[in-house]
Amino acid sequence: MYLLKIAFRNLFRRRGRTLILSLILTLAVVFFLFMESMMMGLMDITFANIIDLETPHIEIGREEFFLEADEGNILPLEETFVPDDDMLMAINETQGVLGMTKVLDFSADFIAGRHEFPVRVRAIDPLTFGEVFRNQEYLVEGEFITGNGSGIVIGERLAEFFDLQSGDFFTLRFQDRRGAFNTMQGDVKGIVSVPHPDMNLGTVFVAKEQATKALNLQEDKVSQIMVRMENRDQALTQAQKLGVEFAGRDYQVRSYRDAAELLVALEAWGYLETYFILALFLLVGGIGIVSAIVLAAIERVKEIGMMKALGLKENEIVRVFILEAAGIGAIGSLIGCVLGAVVVYWLTFYGLDMEAFLDLGDLGVPMGDKLYGAWNTSSFVLIFIFVVAIAIIASIIPSYWAARKDPVEAIQHR
Amino acid sequence: MSLLELEDVKKIYGQGEIKVFALRGVDLEIEEGEFTTIFGPSGSGKTTLLNLIGALDKPTSGRVQLNGSSIGEMNKNQLALLRRQNIGFIFQSFNLIPVLTAYENVEFALKIAEKGENRKAKEKVENILSRVGLGDMLHRRPNQLSGGQNQRVAVARALVKEPKLVLADEPTANLDSEASKEVLEIMVRMNKELNTTFIFSTHDPMVMEYARRLLELKDGMICREERRE
Ligand SMILES: Nc1ncnc2c1ncn2[C@@H]1O[C@H](COP(=O)(O)OP(=O)(O)O)[C@@H](O)[C@H]1O
Ligand SMILES: [Mg+2]
Repeated sequence: MYLLKIAFRNLFRRRGRTLILSLILTLAVVFFLFMESMMMGLMDITFANIIDLETPHIEIGREEFFLEADEGNILPLEETFVPDDDMLMAINETQGVLGMTKVLDFSADFIAGRHEFPVRVRAIDPLTFGEVFRNQEYLVEGEFITGNGSGIVIGERLAEFFDLQSGDFFTLRFQDRRGAFNTMQGDVKGIVSVPHPDMNLGTVFVAKEQATKALNLQEDKVSQIMVRMENRDQALTQAQKLGVEFAGRDYQVRSYRDAAELLVALEAWGYLETYFILALFLLVGGIGIVSAIVLAAIERVKEIGMMKALGLKENEIVRVFILEAAGIGAIGSLIGCVLGAVVVYWLTFYGLDMEAFLDLGDLGVPMGDKLYGAWNTSSFVLIFIFVVAIAIIASIIPSYWAARKDPVEAIQHR
Repeated sequence: MSLLELEDVKKIYGQGEIKVFALRGVDLEIEEGEFTTIFGPSGSGKTTLLNLIGALDKPTSGRVQLNGSSIGEMNKNQLALLRRQNIGFIFQSFNLIPVLTAYENVEFALKIAEKGENRKAKEKVENILSRVGLGDMLHRRPNQLSGGQNQRVAVARALVKEPKLVLADEPTANLDSEASKEVLEIMVRMNKELNTTFIFSTHDPMVMEYARRLLELKDGMICREERRE
């Protein structure tokens, strides 16, 4: 009790020192909370966009197909399949499933005028597509694929690239099931502008019936079954479960995270970077704390000697110094958490205009121009505990050094 | 058995070439309730002797026995326990804890000595502080008190746990004669009222008047002993 009182009051004895050290830790905490909020906000919106527009919570297809797709190769038509009833039943009965649709993805060259551009054509079932995807909501011109008629929907950037409007003429050139070149021609029915750069440029939607005909494929062949779940946690657990169920059948069940390996890597890299900078801040703070305790020990030799004469054991004196360091850590991270809360709150409400910094669109990260932070209460708790722990750890060795001061030497009047 | 027994106690500082023979064989016995003064010029070994008696340091050779146990055989923690229960210290430079008030400095010493809650703690602390004449300055910090008042807090701090032995190393050296007198008179009174054993050192001949048993130290040896009533 008294040790705590002494430690606490000692903090005010060298206010300047306490303040400077605390502020370093404050900086570390604010930085971390800001970065964490931004990272989580970025990842959240990014995955939300991917789930809504490209790969939903769960997708099921042939292993080989995913392999080629991930490599960016021509999508293999021979890896399409006809989903059997057992499979569809199993998916339908999975807990948390909100909707399911079948798609047929294939590679093609988009041709208009004298230019051409390689695209992925996503042939969709107009009846069920909306149960899983939201692309439709981003229509800026014309109409979406509604029936089984001809016509395509393209992304805004592709439209800009070819200077197309809805109603304009297009040609898609591709190889069919037997390897023969074939084309599909018609009008651009609609243009979508989605917050996902790849989708905006490189993806073309067409009705599935049209595509299977042109590709000389059996009518019910698909490349992927796309499933929308209630939430992302369920996606991860159920993907695993379904994966086990389909394991013997050459199918792969992927969650949205499996499908976005690059992003997951980017996320990990972002965190690594954040932790590295955090570590630097804390290193500076830690060294500061070590030196503060060494200084305090030198200043207070007599006091330490006196405490020993009163009968305090060394580990009780150690406690005073460690409590002081913990106090510095607590003050620093408390201020940091308060400031961090203000910053993060602001971020979640007003967002940060990312155009000012860099065009993330160019990096292929599917997000809008404005980035909103995520609020995560556990981050505050964790960083608080972590910083206090670092302060304590940094203080252990110098505290023992301080407490070992010889009482005889300490008390001697000089 | 005496409260304190020293037998041929030697203390040598430093190793190798430069050795300082601070004590060259001291024999001494002190009974409970005695009021002893160690007199000697600067460098004669007074502080060294008091440090050994106070279990702050161990002798190079010889035996220091306090309350029946020999300090030479104890480890750091045992020595700390011995000090906390049996010995009160008063130093030349007061050595109060600057961030604690007078009251808290005294209470702190009491809390260290008596682990656990003591309902009478407040009473005890206030009582001892008013006995040394600081009843109305309980909540001042050391820097808000004069030197004499600081030293009186130190006396109260040494006495509050009712130790067997109070050691005071030149308690008046930093005080003017008025304050010195006050502090010494308080020590004499406490010795009488509480029967606490006091040993204090000084090099000031004026202070010697208060001595009832006088030991004169010179070059690390007791060269004269005198008892007065
Ligand atoms: N820690 C020490 N290291 C070396 N020599 C010391 C130390 N402490 C005291 N001395 C020496 O021992 C002698 C006795 O010192 P001390 O006990 O402090 O005398 P006093 O208190 O009577 O002035 C002196 O010569 C002093 O220089
Ligand atoms: Mg001395």
